[in-house]
Amino acid sequence: MTEVLPADGVFGLSWLLVAVPAISAVVLLVGGRRTDRWGHLLGTAAPAFAFVLGVVLFVALLGRGEQERRVGQQLWTWFEVGGLRADFGLLLDPLSALFVLLITGVGSLIHVYSIGYMAHDARRRRFFGYLNLFIAAMLMLVLADNYLALFLGWEGVGLASYLLIGFWQHKNSAAVAAKKAFVVNRVGDMGMVLAIMLMFATFGSVTFEGVAAGIEDASGATQTALGLLLLLGACGKSAQVPLQSWLLDAMEGPTPVSALIHAATMVTAGVYLVVRSGFVYETTEVASTAVVLVGLVTLVVGAIIGCAKDDIKKVLAGSTMSQIGYMMLAAGLGPAGYAFAIFHLITHGFFKANLFLGAGSVMHSMHDDVDMRVYGGLSRLMPVTFVTFAMGYLAIIGFPGFAGFWSKDKVIEAAFADNIWIGIATILAAGVTAFYMTRLMLMTFLGDKRWKSDVHPHESPATMTIPLVVLAVASVLGGVLILGGWIGHFLEPSVGPEEHHDLPIPVLALTAIVTLTVAVGVFIAWRTYGTKEVPVTAPRGSVLTRAARADLYGDALNEAVLMRPGQWTTRWLVWFDNRGLDGGVNGLAALIGGTSGQVRRAQTGYVRSYALAMLGGALLVVVSLLAVTLA
Amino acid sequence: MTPELVVFWLLSVLTVASAVMVVSTPHVVHAALWLVVTLGAVAGCFLVLTAEFVAWVQVLIYVGAVVVLLLFALMLTRSPASTTGATSRNRPVAAFAGFSTFGVLAVVLTSGFRGIVLDLDSQPDQLGGAAPPERIGDTRSVGEAIFTHWVLAFEVLSVILLAALIGAIVVSGRVRDRDRQEAAAGGGS
Amino acid sequence: MNEFIAPTVEYAELSPLLIVLGAAVVGVTLEAFLPRRGRHRIQVVFTLVALVAALLATGWVAAGLDEVEGASGRGLIAAEGAIAVDGPSVFMWGVLLVFSIISVMLFAERRIEGGVSAFAGQAAALPGTEAEREASRQGIEHTEVFPLVLFAIGGMLLFPASNDLLTMFIALEVLSLPLYLLCGLARRRRLISQEAAMKYFLLGAFSSAFFVYGIALVYGYAGSFTLADIHAAVDNNTGSTNLLLAGMGLIAVGLLFKVSAAPFHAWTPDVYQGAPTPVTGFMAACTKLAAFGALLRVFYVAFGGAQWDWRPMIWVVAALTMAIGAVVALTQSDIKRMLAYSSIAHAGFLLVGFAGAYGGDGITSLQSVLFYLAAYGFSTIGAFAVVMLVRDPGGEATHLSRWAGLGKTSPLVAGVFAFFMLAFAGIPLTSGFTSKWTVFSAAWAGGAWPLVLLAVGMSAVAAYFYVRVIVLMFFSDPVVDGPTVSVPSLFTSSALVVAVVATVVLGILPGPVLDLAQQAGAFVR
Repeated sequence: MTEVLPADGVFGLSWLLVAVPAISAVVLLVGGRRTDRWGHLLGTAAPAFAFVLGVVLFVALLGRGEQERRVGQQLWTWFEVGGLRADFGLLLDPLSALFVLLITGVGSLIHVYSIGYMAHDARRRRFFGYLNLFIAAMLMLVLADNYLALFLGWEGVGLASYLLIGFWQHKNSAAVAAKKAFVVNRVGDMGMVLAIMLMFATFGSVTFEGVAAGIEDASGATQTALGLLLLLGACGKSAQVPLQSWLLDAMEGPTPVSALIHAATMVTAGVYLVVRSGFVYETTEVASTAVVLVGLVTLVVGAIIGCAKDDIKKVLAGSTMSQIGYMMLAAGLGPAGYAFAIFHLITHGFFKANLFLGAGSVMHSMHDDVDMRVYGGLSRLMPVTFVTFAMGYLAIIGFPGFAGFWSKDKVIEAAFADNIWIGIATILAAGVTAFYMTRLMLMTFLGDKRWKSDVHPHESPATMTIPLVVLAVASVLGGVLILGGWIGHFLEPSVGPEEHHDLPIPVLALTAIVTLTVAVGVFIAWRTYGTKEVPVTAPRGSVLTRAARADLYGDALNEAVLMRPGQWTTRWLVWFDNRGLDGGVNGLAALIGGTSGQVRRAQTGYVRSYALAMLGGALLVVVSLLAVTLA
Repeated sequence: MTPELVVFWLLSVLTVASAVMVVSTPHVVHAALWLVVTLGAVAGCFLVLTAEFVAWVQVLIYVGAVVVLLLFALMLTRSPASTTGATSRNRPVAAFAGFSTFGVLAVVLTSGFRGIVLDLDSQPDQLGGAAPPERIGDTRSVGEAIFTHWVLAFEVLSVILLAALIGAIVVSGRVRDRDRQEAAAGGGS
Repeated sequence: MNEFIAPTVEYAELSPLLIVLGAAVVGVTLEAFLPRRGRHRIQVVFTLVALVAALLATGWVAAGLDEVEGASGRGLIAAEGAIAVDGPSVFMWGVLLVFSIISVMLFAERRIEGGVSAFAGQAAALPGTEAEREASRQGIEHTEVFPLVLFAIGGMLLFPASNDLLTMFIALEVLSLPLYLLCGLARRRRLISQEAAMKYFLLGAFSSAFFVYGIALVYGYAGSFTLADIHAAVDNNTGSTNLLLAGMGLIAVGLLFKVSAAPFHAWTPDVYQGAPTPVTGFMAACTKLAAFGALLRVFYVAFGGAQWDWRPMIWVVAALTMAIGAVVALTQSDIKRMLAYSSIAHAGFLLVGFAGAYGGDGITSLQSVLFYLAAYGFSTIGAFAVVMLVRDPGGEATHLSRWAGLGKTSPLVAGVFAFFMLAFAGIPLTSGFTSKWTVFSAAWAGGAWPLVLLAVGMSAVAAYFYVRVIVLMFFSDPVVDGPTVSVPSLFTSSALVVAVVATVVLGILPGPVLDLAQQAGAFVR
């Protein structure tokens, strides 16, 4: 990593990236109904401004020498107590610059799309306020120069995501999903908090620079613990196994939200965290292997879930999990994979946002019905949506030449170089991806129409189709970033030089194998869904299908491992708090008095049971004091 | 054996004997009267130990106020002639509580003050002229302690009494008719 | 016979205390001589003026504190050794007085009850009788609450500043007695309020007995009440250690009762629920602060040398307190009881800080706990102020189910409450995050990392029930004929504004207050 230079010139404006959307969010949320009329316009202008500024900063960054591409800006000291000092600082380097462009670029398009999508919603202004809040928090997350400020953004995006998932609060399922997302994310956040505590205790600093400087000298246990705790945080935010369960439910939110937050940007924060903390993972074999494993498992689990769902958004959500699994896996491979993880993250941001917005467009015309079994034959009625969706489809399955082809291929190559079995698993998953995406295409756009007579599908308005077109173009052309190894070279100041490993077989042969596997996946899907009538009610399916429909029993597992013991503890503590003490009193009174009358008397007075509890507590305190001395 | 010691022992025996009577008599009013004897004898013990201030406080507060209050309470709540109720199945528990309190206090006080001797008759020259002799426990020294070292605590104590007084008025006092009319005229503004 | 030497009392340094107690006495006099009509208004103004004057005096005292030679702190021992006017004392005085001013503003609220205060019209009238209805119809009310709360504040100022155990005990009683009374004076739901007062009184007396017993044992050990002498005795290891340990334990019981730490917490939910809501807010913020101040002073100043003996005990109590507070709160259906359990959980987090490093370069336990108390107090008074506003025809609508959909009917009030919930949950950019952060850092630096692990886990559990309220308010449908949100007078609204602003500012720019807590430095002995 290269040195961080102070911000000068145009870089002094980088704080505006965060501030402008934040101010806009405040105006929209506090302004109330007065801002209803122009609220969506302001809400769209804020990320657009951030995008323009982001481009300017990006160009300025390109204009500098390679060694001068890390720019830091200190804003203010958050707090400083004794040895603990937390500055509110921003860091603009190639890594964060790419993220800024992705977030503001895709974000702006989704804002434009939302103008049309939410046009009939009475609370549209509030929706834009939340979206702006999200953009501000996400930019905070990627621009922070220390883990504490990163955590601020981290919590901020969590909050915005929570508010947006539950945006349609009239739906009970939305409220439940929002709560679930919040709770699962708190588990991940605990990992983050503990990691930050550990950094502070070990290095006395929480900045990236400070931790990177000290990590080499830390003990092996500290390095591993740090890596695993950060991974826990990453799992929560990026919906990786075992904290994946919230993402599928999160699809209850409005579709632009699913596109922006639960596909293109926020859920990739975990990958960002792992790449940003590369210096930690390079010191610890255990933690980096854990990252690879988590990525691999999620990759497979997500793909399987995607195959069985009939809800169009849930298919895409399973696919998101799976694709983030690819990124996580690449990030876990160390310097050989960082650049590819980020590359795939960016192309995925393009095509997955495209797919989600396309799905939203379909739902918009189908009266918000998400069941693919009642779609069919929409390609003629919604030509723009169909064509753009097809671009996204070709990109995600890795059709040669499209964005996903380049990025996924690179991840598979890196995996192959690391371990042949992991490589084979990634290739098979690519085939499965092709299967479920083809299934989705066939069930939605092709075949015979299966919708009811009172539904009249139509093409969406221009505010919705223009973002689709732009994203479709990006899905096609996103691969240019890899030309000449540009992205790896560009990211060097942030993540260190790329490492190259020898492949056991020639690159071209590998590419051919991957493409062939994808073709097989497409073919099977076509045989299953393209040549036969799709039943409107879902068949019972095999054991695996049913398991996949139930999210591979992720919720059941959570319930058994976390919820049940939690409920049991709660019940036990409440019993202890309410009745246990009284029970003790009753027992004691019965013991002393030996008559039932006294037991009844003891039950009437709660104060004495409290007093007895205090007496017991006093004994506990005194005994524990004496025990320490005697021990 | 000095005369003081003889008196002290006599008073101690009186204290213990009357205390036994307090808990053994079946008549509650008798128990209260025996309590007067016990507390008086304790006051006597204090006098012999030259703690004259504490002795008079004991007489004023315990004999004068606490027992009288007790008698009031007894007379207001039940017939003074009644002999029931002074015995109870809780006796073993009460005995246990009493003896354990005694045990703990005895241990604490002996371990805290064992071997400490107050020389009441010492002269300045015997102390090496260091400090003037202090008559520990007499009214003057207690008064001096209260109004010098403990002056703040003492003043704040009076605040507690005032607060308790106000509290008693608040929870028990009824609004007078004049106030009632005033308030009605004000309309709760 | 030697002459009586008049004691020296540093009136200037003690002025905040003297102003508050003096004002209380004058308030009693006003009560006796003023006509009933204008009494409420005059009492409110007088009380607020006295508190502001005491706050100004505190600032003046703080500015004039001198460094102590040969020690790390600043300040002096005043009033013949009874009071330590040092950095932590003055910091706590300032924060206490600010909280008191806000609380008194809530006490003064009369608009939401339709022209009368939240206190019973006539405490002596039996609940549900004609006399009670008569009293409330005529708008009679107890303005004695203002002198009483001043007495309590006086006790709270003295409590953490006491330099000997006897003064501390007296201060404990001064602050407790008026609180017992105030708890029983709710206008609505009189029976539950009186029950709360009775329980609080009995258990409080019980805990005071433990405290006194502990003092006696420690006196037996050290032969002195003064904290510095006890410290010396502990250092020189004179006397029987068992006596010291038992005394220390019993003193701890008395103090842990006041901070509502488990297993001495049983009174908290009942009393918080029954007491008039302004009083609950006052207790949650101010009593906790005063009691923590006293706890820290006794254990750091007097028993600092024996910390390896008491530290494990604090670990056990902290762990138990957090677990009970956070987990049992999950099942509460009454908002005031839930906040009570939340306050128990926060006491646990504070104890985690207490278990941390006393000295060292980093943030010390003392500073982190002081900051936490300041931050928590604002949010908790604010939260209870919101509870005051949400009303049914029969009084406050404290059952959680009544709060469903409040976000739709009254977005502003629900939003403010949600904000306080987020602060309690410790979300960044609220004071809850910075304060938890400082406390946990201090604990971690002091080697209490297992406790920090547990604390982080428990704050995640606690976050769940805070969020449950937010979900209920914003994501559920409003109940039919649900509670109305009263429009408060300027008193409550400005108190709320102060609480919200403080919670935001302490979250974003905690620097100045943290600096103040840091400058407070160490205790002086």
